[in-house]
Amino acid sequence: MYRYDHIDQTLVDQRVAQFQDQVARRLNGTLAEEEFRPLRLQNGLYHQRHAYMLRVAIPYGLFNSKQLRALAYISEKYDRGYGHFTTRQNIQYNWVTLEDTPDILADLAKVEMHAIQTSGNCIRNITSDAFAGVAGDEYVDTRPICELLRQWSTLHPEFAHLPRKFKFAVNGAKEDRTVLLCHDVGIELKKNAQGKLIADIYAGGGMGRTPILGSLIKQDLPWQLLPGYLTALLRVYNRFGRRDNLYKARIKILVKALSPEEFARQVEGEWLYNKDGDDNFTQAEWDRVAKHFTKPAYKSLPALTIEQITNQASDTEKSAFARWLERNVKPHQVPGYASVILSLKPHGTVAPGDATTAQMNAIADLADQYSFGELRATHEQNLVLADVEQAKLYELWQEAKKQKVALPNVGLLTDIIACPGGDFCSLANAKSLPIAKAIQERFDDLDYLFDLGDISLNISGCINSCGHHHVGNIGVLGVDKDGEEWYQITLGGEQGNNAAIGKVIGPSFYADEIPDVITNIINTYVKERTEDESFIASYRRLGVIPFKEAAYKNKKEHAKKSNAVEATGDAS
Amino acid sequence: MSQAQSNSNTIAAHEQILRFPKGQKPSFGPNEWLIWSGSQDEGGLPDLKHGKSKVLVPFAWWVQHHYEIDVQAKTKSGHIGVWFAADDDILKHADVIEQGKSIWPLVAAHFPIFRDGRSFSTAALLRDRFQWTGEIRAIGDVLIDQLLQGARVGFDSFALRPDQDLDVALRQFDLFSVTTQNSWRGKRSLLATI
Repeated sequence: MYRYDHIDQTLVDQRVAQFQDQVARRLNGTLAEEEFRPLRLQNGLYHQRHAYMLRVAIPYGLFNSKQLRALAYISEKYDRGYGHFTTRQNIQYNWVTLEDTPDILADLAKVEMHAIQTSGNCIRNITSDAFAGVAGDEYVDTRPICELLRQWSTLHPEFAHLPRKFKFAVNGAKEDRTVLLCHDVGIELKKNAQGKLIADIYAGGGMGRTPILGSLIKQDLPWQLLPGYLTALLRVYNRFGRRDNLYKARIKILVKALSPEEFARQVEGEWLYNKDGDDNFTQAEWDRVAKHFTKPAYKSLPALTIEQITNQASDTEKSAFARWLERNVKPHQVPGYASVILSLKPHGTVAPGDATTAQMNAIADLADQYSFGELRATHEQNLVLADVEQAKLYELWQEAKKQKVALPNVGLLTDIIACPGGDFCSLANAKSLPIAKAIQERFDDLDYLFDLGDISLNISGCINSCGHHHVGNIGVLGVDKDGEEWYQITLGGEQGNNAAIGKVIGPSFYADEIPDVITNIINTYVKERTEDESFIASYRRLGVIPFKEAAYKNKKEHAKKSNAVEATGDAS
Repeated sequence: MSQAQSNSNTIAAHEQILRFPKGQKPSFGPNEWLIWSGSQDEGGLPDLKHGKSKVLVPFAWWVQHHYEIDVQAKTKSGHIGVWFAADDDILKHADVIEQGKSIWPLVAAHFPIFRDGRSFSTAALLRDRFQWTGEIRAIGDVLIDQLLQGARVGFDSFALRPDQDLDVALRQFDLFSVTTQNSWRGKRSLLATI
């Protein structure tokens, strides 16, 4: 993985010093809170419901065991013994103090980490496929481009105060695991007929209160020209994105208002003036960065069949091990290797994506022992050991079980994506975590979950949709009505190559109704499905009506006063 | 109290201007320029006899009024520059700016509030697209923690909001010795190492 050179290290160290000074001025009263706010946000520091929250960048989700141990240390020393992995491949701490933050950043800098631009109205942490470099279906390893873009976007002066936050995702695999079309800019990397690396650019996607899928605005852009093109794109957004209304300030609103064609034309017009400039990436820069993403020292191993791997387990453990292999182990480019997803969604969990200090330290050991010391954080809030010998999968499974990160629920109903919700977040209208927990407790039967197969269930505590409920097959959105917490259901959302925004089915529910509502929806699927038909395929075939009727069949009387809350009320 | 602060028809700024010419050290110097908002007196320029001798006029006002004789006279003697509002679309008036390059001693770009970054792009366009080589001043809600970004996109003078600490401001430009993208000040550090 990428290692800082003296330039990266100097920049991060100097950024720590800059923030130390900003915090000192805040504490001595010479910097007003309102004016400090954007500065601390650009360093990942939020002020939440109970305390400060610090979001630490894990660029494109890739990190190593030393860094994870440092993250564990921080969780113990400055927080309450855990960290929360987010959908954007970051980790956040919920209980830090303003006074400690410069020290935390200094500790992070020692292991080549930072919190730069993990929040604020600037270019955020760039996300990518958690399986980049190892995925069986990959056609371009996205990591060198992600790293070059990380450097280009870090403390970019012109785009330090954009109208709103700005999120990039980069994909290079057949299956999109990045939710590419729900990003302000999605970069699809591919190779042309001559083997040259080129990019398609999608712009104007996003979730929030106005969910929109991004539009293709540029095809076949040579990779070297990305900085100039993206500068042009961001410049158009910076100049013309709306600043009068927070809710209409994202680039998706501009792209929609202008039309993708007109937006693309304006970007092209701007780009004409800098396309040949020296902002462009050079081959030497590529070479410098790409050498960090060469393959690790793989052994020459025979590829094992599923049967051979399963037979590593004793008879009593075989079926449980086989389940884990089916759900949590993914194919690898190199014979004899596999990628393993460690589930951070044990049933009854406090919060999806949480890892304790002890778990983090233990997972760091597993990374050292089984996966060249490297780890990845996923969009689904799990962790990945990307390079595990197939012959050691059984051994790893046993170790992972001890840490309670071996639940074979990856991609199943209880692999819930959820934001921290009202328990932590001051923006939330409703809690997310107790809903996730109640659903996991209701669907605690692994046999049944396996039978149901792939279903994504995403929960957001407010319309900002950090839980990405719009792209869950089943989405749950917390809404506030007259000071009470309600939950609205969306159906039909999907991430991946067939990305779709879910539809609101109607009036919202009380929290205690949600497990029944989900059960009724699932029962309808079980009753109506054809053989091997996934939930989303059934939904597409049958339409919303049978699911909607099922959802409301036990609706409580007292809920009649509730009317549908329009999730897309601000869509214009 | 400065004239700038006493007149609601002007944009307030320190009496001292922070100058950071490319390739030189940052320093403070006296401010000769009144920043006229133009919002209340559409009829004509403010009286410059009893205060500062030079005036920055709103670009939109300039577009309307630059043919007038007294404006031309003052411009000829180097006493008029323009400032761009954050929502001025300078590319729509490229011809006016091209003409202005030879007659304005100074241009400025306005920050209506410190977290509005549009003027960063305005400055970048003035430097990149228009090849403006003269001074570009940041005016309005200009705070200490924007100086570094401003300096990198093309600003080389700063009319800080009057409550800002000048000593802290002066220290901002030394915070970073490396960069990871090009700017008006220089190329990214990475290019020098490969």
